[in-house]
Order: sequence, then structure tokens, then C-alpha cells
Amino acid sequence: MSEKMKRDDQSRVDRGLVAMFLKMSPEERLLANDNALRTIMELRDAYTRQKAKERKTK
Amino acid sequence: MPIRGRKPRSAKLSEILEGLLEARVDFILVGGLAAVIQGAPVTTMDVDVVHSQSPENVARLLAFLKSIDAAHRRLDDKVIEPSERDLSGKGHVLLTTRIGPLDVLAVIEGERSYEDLLEHTVEIDFRGHTLRMLDLKTLIQLKKTSTDPKDKQRLPVLKETLRQLEEKSGRRKDEKDSDNA
Repeated sequence: MSEKMKRDDQSRVDRGLVAMFLKMSPEERLLANDNALRTIMELRDAYTRQKAKERKTK
Repeated sequence: MPIRGRKPRSAKLSEILEGLLEARVDFILVGGLAAVIQGAPVTTMDVDVVHSQSPENVARLLAFLKSIDAAHRRLDDKVIEPSERDLSGKGHVLLTTRIGPLDVLAVIEGERSYEDLLEHTVEIDFRGHTLRMLDLKTLIQLKKTSTDPKDKQRLPVLKETLRQLEEKSGRRKDEKDSDNA
């Protein structure tokens, strides 16, 4: 990989976030992913409900 | 009323892993969750495993899948449970379960099976069990050849995670060396 491509790759990455994750234990990282998933599912459900509500009122 | 196995009631990927280990299934965790556990700040929606296809292991895996109401992920509402034949074949078995999506893979990129991947794994203690997963270096190599755009997008994050991990272990080695000097 060229030096330029390496720099482009690195500039897209939040290095602080990587460092923060590396300070966590494997179990904590797994639970963080589960929590993120739960939140995503809740938000998607809320979005679907809202869209259904909007369709009914039209 | 939701059809059994069609839609997960919750996504607890850590429980899928714990369940597989409790059921004494021989598997290697691959994919996004293996990267998450090794420190990559990414979010993944499913568990990907490559399993040993010995008849005993397939039987244990099938029993566990039944216990979590696993069914093939499909676009229609048909509920088709995985069979021994599915788990003994060479294909990917993509399942929905009541605790989240689970992909059971016979082989991954380059037709690599459970036995082929074993030498590229790391082990961690997880809830009283040993969890085996593909190491970050191999995950990166596989993602490089992947045609999935999601894999390409994640690659820089995985590389940075590996870079920081290697930097850390290098620092630790230097500290050990100076202690011994």
C-alpha cells in the first residue's frame, strides 16, 4: 500500500475511539455492542411506529 | 402474533456466544464480533461462527439452535428450521433466533474450514469458558479480499486497532526487557 493510501486510511479513523475501546475488557466491548444494538432496534421500532401513525392520519 | 423464529425479540449477541459455549459447541468466532472483542470500535448486528463439522459437534449445535428457536432467515414468512444436513454441508446457514441473528458458516473466504482456521485464532476467558476467535491480523487479511462494501469500509478501523494493539504489546515487551536488564 502506498504512503498516500495509508494516510488516507488513517485520516478516516477516530484514533481516540480505538484507544478508548482498547482500554475496555472483552466482556465490556461485547456488552457495549449489545447495548448499541438494543438502542438501534428501539430507534428503528420508534421510526416504524411514527411512520405508521403518519400514514393513518393522512 | 409474531411467527416463531422470524423476528428476534431482542438482540443479545453475548448470550448467543455464552449459549454456544455452554452447549460445548466447537466453533471459531469470525466477522465483526471477533473484531469488536479484540478492540475495534464497530457495531455488528449478528454473530458469525465457523463450526467443526464432526457429527457429534453438529448434533450439539443443532440442539442448541433448537433451544433458541433458530430458523433460516428468509424474505417470506415461512419458518424453516435448520437441519443436520444444512450444518454438515459446505454452505452458509443464515439464521434468525429469539436472541439475535446467527450465521453458521462451514467455510469462509478461500474455502477455509474450522480446522484450517484454528492456527489463526486467539482465545479469551469468557463467563467461565474459553472463547476462540479469529485473530485480528487474519480478519484484516480476509476483509481485504472481501467484495462486501461494509468490509471495505471497516478495514481502516481494524487496521488502526491492530496498529495500536501492536504498539501497546511492543511497549509492554520493552518494559519487561528493561525490568529483566
